[in-house]
Amino acid sequence: MSTETSTAPASPAVNLPLSKKTLTSDHPTWCPGCGDFAILNVYYRVLEKLQYPQESIVTFAGIGCSSRMPYFVNSHGGHYIHGRSLPFAAAISLGRPDVHVFNFGGDGDGFSIGGNHLTHAARKNTNMTYVIMDNSVYGLTKKQTSPTSPIGFKSKTDPTGAMDRPINPMRTLLNSGATFVARSHAAQIGHMTEMMERAARHNGFSVVEILSECVEFYDGAFDAAVPRKGGAFQTIELRKNDGTSEDTLRHDPTDEVAAFKLAGLEWPGKFGVFFEVKRPTKNELEAGLVARAREKTKNASDLDLLKGAFARMR
Amino acid sequence: MSNATSARPKPFLQPEYCKGCLRCIEACPRDCITPGDEINPLTGLRPVALHLDNCNGCSLCIQACPEPYGLRRQAARPCVGDDFELEDPAKLFGERQVANHSAGDVPDTFVPLPACDPMILKGTYAAAIGALLAGCRHVFGYPITPSTEGAELMAKILPKLNGSFVQAVSEVAAVNMMYGAGGAGVPCLTFTSSPGFSLMLEGISYMIGAEVPGVFINIMRGGPGLGNIGPEQADIKLACRGLGHGNTHALVLAPSTPQEMLELTREAFELSFLYRNPVVILGDGYLGQMTGIVKLPATLRRPGLPAWAVWGDRAHRHNLICSIALEETDLEQRNRHLNIKYAEISAHEQRSDLYRCEDAEMLVVACNTPARMAKGAVEAARAHGVKAGLFRPITLWPFPIDALLPVLPTVRQLIVVEASPGQLEDEMRLALSHAGIAPPPIDHVRRFGGLLPQQSEILAKILNYQEVLS
Repeated sequence: MSTETSTAPASPAVNLPLSKKTLTSDHPTWCPGCGDFAILNVYYRVLEKLQYPQESIVTFAGIGCSSRMPYFVNSHGGHYIHGRSLPFAAAISLGRPDVHVFNFGGDGDGFSIGGNHLTHAARKNTNMTYVIMDNSVYGLTKKQTSPTSPIGFKSKTDPTGAMDRPINPMRTLLNSGATFVARSHAAQIGHMTEMMERAARHNGFSVVEILSECVEFYDGAFDAAVPRKGGAFQTIELRKNDGTSEDTLRHDPTDEVAAFKLAGLEWPGKFGVFFEVKRPTKNELEAGLVARAREKTKNASDLDLLKGAFARMR
Repeated sequence: MSNATSARPKPFLQPEYCKGCLRCIEACPRDCITPGDEINPLTGLRPVALHLDNCNGCSLCIQACPEPYGLRRQAARPCVGDDFELEDPAKLFGERQVANHSAGDVPDTFVPLPACDPMILKGTYAAAIGALLAGCRHVFGYPITPSTEGAELMAKILPKLNGSFVQAVSEVAAVNMMYGAGGAGVPCLTFTSSPGFSLMLEGISYMIGAEVPGVFINIMRGGPGLGNIGPEQADIKLACRGLGHGNTHALVLAPSTPQEMLELTREAFELSFLYRNPVVILGDGYLGQMTGIVKLPATLRRPGLPAWAVWGDRAHRHNLICSIALEETDLEQRNRHLNIKYAEISAHEQRSDLYRCEDAEMLVVACNTPARMAKGAVEAARAHGVKAGLFRPITLWPFPIDALLPVLPTVRQLIVVEASPGQLEDEMRLALSHAGIAPPPIDHVRRFGGLLPQQSEILAKILNYQEVLS
């Protein structure tokens, strides 16, 4: 788990600066008008800003329309089992703490079949960024109810309207112990860029839920948050700690209770950073454990240590 | 010491009910209790020892004792030799107000269906209708291409029939819902495809262990891993040899037309309840999506309720649906019982379809959609004057070896046609090997990854062997 095990090939002497051109690998196959195009573009923009070495970027996904992402990004990556991309990404993050792990998934991937993995990835605070592209419907399998579909949504598996209470993603994530929780909308490029960049810079498990409309199977799902369609895109003003009286009205992102209240606002709710705290990451804790254990052994070679262990077993 | 104090009952202890947790020692203000030094032979534990000379009957030790039959007042002491028996809650609270059914099965009834014109249906719909006609009203599933349409149809129809379709959070949840519904004795069904079927295996193993019926329709797609959504016969090995952990088998049916999807699904429910075992229906992705003419059967089944199921009444209080058997001898016994059941299924349920096999020298073996290409190839070969035949297993487990053996004497070459890298051939070879038969030479036509064997490929293979052998 230590960085010593890293066997990355040496980077080429001259690295081209990351740009959309160097990051694009394949033409996206989503339906025309899909919100996911915007998220992909924002991902390029964020990578352009961060200028990580290209070989240290890893893009993962599970199953769903959103999970086509790794094919369109010129980085390392993986397209994995439905709902299980988080454990996969967590192991990469722990095994290679030097790489930047980005994980993409949809609402079905993250909250339905991968619900327990999401809870525990958040609890363990493994260092990675998870972007949930929430369209409130199963688009790839052609319109079934998803865990975020609102009550009354008519899908092929709920022809008379969904009856189960939808998940509140922000509250779920806050409860699970994620250390960075933000929400954005695929029609708001600037806001999305800011959220995704902050999430990427955050040390620990950071999640951005992006409402991304499925034009084919749930048209107009998020119109209430699109000003162009008569909705309102309300952002969260974060506390500046400038001591002024109006500052107390702004949201304190370290206040879990305030974040929880904010997450319970009426649809479409607010957008922005709900919660951001510093907590030791799984990567740091693991590295600390290894360092303490190595200290006790006084950096003996593994052969000597194993010999000693076998001798005690006899 | 006043009379009142001495009249208070002192504690007593039956050693076999004491686990020696020593909480009473902490509670006693007069140090009347000491840790025991003898192991009780009945429990293997060390009960405390009471020295009641100094006891004033304060009963603090009795309050401290966590055991229901641990320290008790001496007044409550039963006669010597009495044991403590749990009281039957039914006696405590009076008789439960539920109908008291007889302990026997409620049998199925069959209602005649009015004749109607044949329908044009896709395979998954045909299977759904077969299930409805078999009395299935409970369907669980998770969306997965190419099987979702069957579940979607059920979601539409079932509420009107007083049934329900539940979209589970995952296939893992779906299979456990099947276990629950099956345990309640109602016919239940799931539609899934290869990766989803992999997720269900754990639950299927439990269902087999607990002898719970249920029908699994697996519209197979390309594998391994994520593979693709093209048709493949990639789960034959999984369904026949690998249904989760332990000694597991289930009847595996392989339809090859939408009509058979309906008939076999309908029949699968009866078989599933007859043997108290899950039944797997394997269709390839093509068959799930393919439309064809489907004739409805003459009857509709109204399922009864088997005596072993969860009824929720006094007569069936002892019905326990579980797959655990902690005692080694119990588990061995259960496996012997399962083996007897598997042997019965193997003996009675082999099914196959023989097409022009009577004098066949070239015998093509195929199931599911590839069998349809194979049939075309056999017809074309016959037109070339080649004595070709098609052996189509309908049950893959048990492999219909009893029907294959009489055909073999005239056969000079076996050709296994399949959309998988040899899984059907392995099943056939295994069956032949168990039967102790040295088969004629076996060759194959295999395509996979979402492609199916073509009629021309099969015909070319047949004609090639005809040339070589003549």
